[in-house]
Amino acid sequence: MSHIEADDRKSLTDWRLVLVLVAFSALALAIAVRLVMLHTVEQPFLFEQGEKRTVRDEVQLASRGDILDRRGRPLAVSTPVFTLWLNPQIINLQQIPAVANILGMSTSKLTKRVRRAASEGRSFFYLKRQVSPAVAKDITAQRVAGVYAEDDFRRFYPAAEVTAQLLGIIDVDQRGQEGVELAYNKYLKGHDGARRVVKDLYGNVVKQLAVKSHPESGSALQLTLDLRLQYIAYRELKAAVQQHKAKSGSAVMLDAKTGEVLALVSRPSYNPNNRSQLDARQMRNRALVDVLEPGSTIKPFTVAAALESGKFNPDSIVNTHPGYVRVGKKTIRDHRNYGELDLTSVITKSSNVGTTQLAAEVGAESLWQLLSDVGIGQSDVLGMPGEVVGSLPYPEQMDDLRLATSSFGYGMSVSALQLARAYSVFQNGCQRNIHLVKNDAIDSSCHRIISEKTAAQVRQMLETVTSDRGTGSRARVPGYRVGGKTGTAHKVGRGGYEDSAYTAVFAGLAPLTDPDLVLVVVVDEPQGKEYYGGEVAAPVFSRIMQQSLNLRQIAPDQPLQSLVMRGGEI
Amino acid sequence: MNWGIWGLVLISAFIQVASVQWHRDLLQVWQQQSALKLTLTQENTRLVLEKSALTAPGRIDKIARQQMKMHAPQSTRVLQP
Repeated sequence: MSHIEADDRKSLTDWRLVLVLVAFSALALAIAVRLVMLHTVEQPFLFEQGEKRTVRDEVQLASRGDILDRRGRPLAVSTPVFTLWLNPQIINLQQIPAVANILGMSTSKLTKRVRRAASEGRSFFYLKRQVSPAVAKDITAQRVAGVYAEDDFRRFYPAAEVTAQLLGIIDVDQRGQEGVELAYNKYLKGHDGARRVVKDLYGNVVKQLAVKSHPESGSALQLTLDLRLQYIAYRELKAAVQQHKAKSGSAVMLDAKTGEVLALVSRPSYNPNNRSQLDARQMRNRALVDVLEPGSTIKPFTVAAALESGKFNPDSIVNTHPGYVRVGKKTIRDHRNYGELDLTSVITKSSNVGTTQLAAEVGAESLWQLLSDVGIGQSDVLGMPGEVVGSLPYPEQMDDLRLATSSFGYGMSVSALQLARAYSVFQNGCQRNIHLVKNDAIDSSCHRIISEKTAAQVRQMLETVTSDRGTGSRARVPGYRVGGKTGTAHKVGRGGYEDSAYTAVFAGLAPLTDPDLVLVVVVDEPQGKEYYGGEVAAPVFSRIMQQSLNLRQIAPDQPLQSLVMRGGEI
Repeated sequence: MNWGIWGLVLISAFIQVASVQWHRDLLQVWQQQSALKLTLTQENTRLVLEKSALTAPGRIDKIARQQMKMHAPQSTRVLQP
């Protein structure tokens, strides 16, 4: 009996063993089949899904190049910051208060935003752009899954409103939008890098799969601008615009010997580092974009054309009696009857009748040729965005009346920069390329327009304008011989020239012995009793020019009124 | 012969593992250096901006006029022998 029981038990054991073996074999086979399936049939799908969750094509931003002034002072610099973004599909809603608290955001608003984005199936939105590294560090320290920090850059403009319109701005994607930032965007922006990486849940790079390109920072751009002169020009212009309650103003200073732009300012201005109150009107670079009728500031060119014609010399007499002249159906008037004037006095007294007679004698062709040669109405100067070309009527368009009005600066339009370029011709009779960027490749040769003798004669005439009997006596600078011309042009409105809206201009050079600086000051629509160029723009010219000559250490070329030594007067 | 092939397979396997590890180490160093570069760039920019703010013509002008009572020379000059 026990033998039979023992055999039955052994048989049962063998059977169980076989069953277990078969079961395990089947299991092993199933696993093997599944493995084969995963590695063959489903492999492409699984590989793609895996990569979607971990592999990222990452753009590595290139730093934008700095903009520097002529002495290497920074005008625009980029600093590393971070941009925070969020994946609503991953983030744990309970962690939102901590994130909102650090960023100073409303928890309820952020929660709503995340819920809405998650319900729309979105997996990306910007949490906050361009946050400081300290804030980004606080956020990443929270180790919130679904919140990521990416490298970014923020642009700072140390001189703020002083250089605002000239430099312009960039957008959040580092693209130039205005001014130098836009004009030289390709040069400044550099090239972003690209790589393929594996990232973990928190956005950390755990493996780099491929580098497609390395980021290359943008090149630094050095301007010819002198920040010190720019500041002086801005401060004085701002004071004048405020004092005269003017609508706007601009000033341009050029190096008369090289054609470099040393200062270029506009009012009103804005702070490019804080654009919350930004008004588009403040962004206008009025020295380049706004046109004005140059008015009497054109008269020196009419006189220069007369001198170049060979028919006149500085002592030639022009009879302006009785103080007006009929041209066609119009009457051109002087302020009063100046009688007989020599050419110098035509400039000193700013006689419209005198220049009308000179233009009639010289002819439309010669006057147009000179004005176009100095760049009036011919082309933009710097190639900056929005820069105006201005206008100058062709000789064949000039009837007697148009020729007459052109001789004293009406019926044409220029920018402040164009006027400054035109005046640079009086340095020695030739004109150089006006440029804003330091560049050895720029052609520094001088293009002759009028003779050196004519330039010197016109300079002497311009000096009389700043004398006691001239219209621009308030433009004088102690210790220096200064020459220039005032201009007061009626503004053009819908119904033609307006009676009570003026543009006050002063354009000049200093020191006249060997001109170093050309400066043009424009004040648009000054309010109050003073509105003439000699009253509004000339004092600004004087203040800017005086400080600039001192800063540039230009030797005085005029005896000082009194020279005092320690211990007594000499 | 077979042992030789097996040996080469093993060696190449070890080299592959070592090279992967080496790549990870280098990547880590690169990441650290990139972070350091970013920090230094940020610090440099901060200092540049700070220097620029401290030496701004407007600030110097204000200090010279208000605190040091300086003014621009007028038509009268005083020569200091």
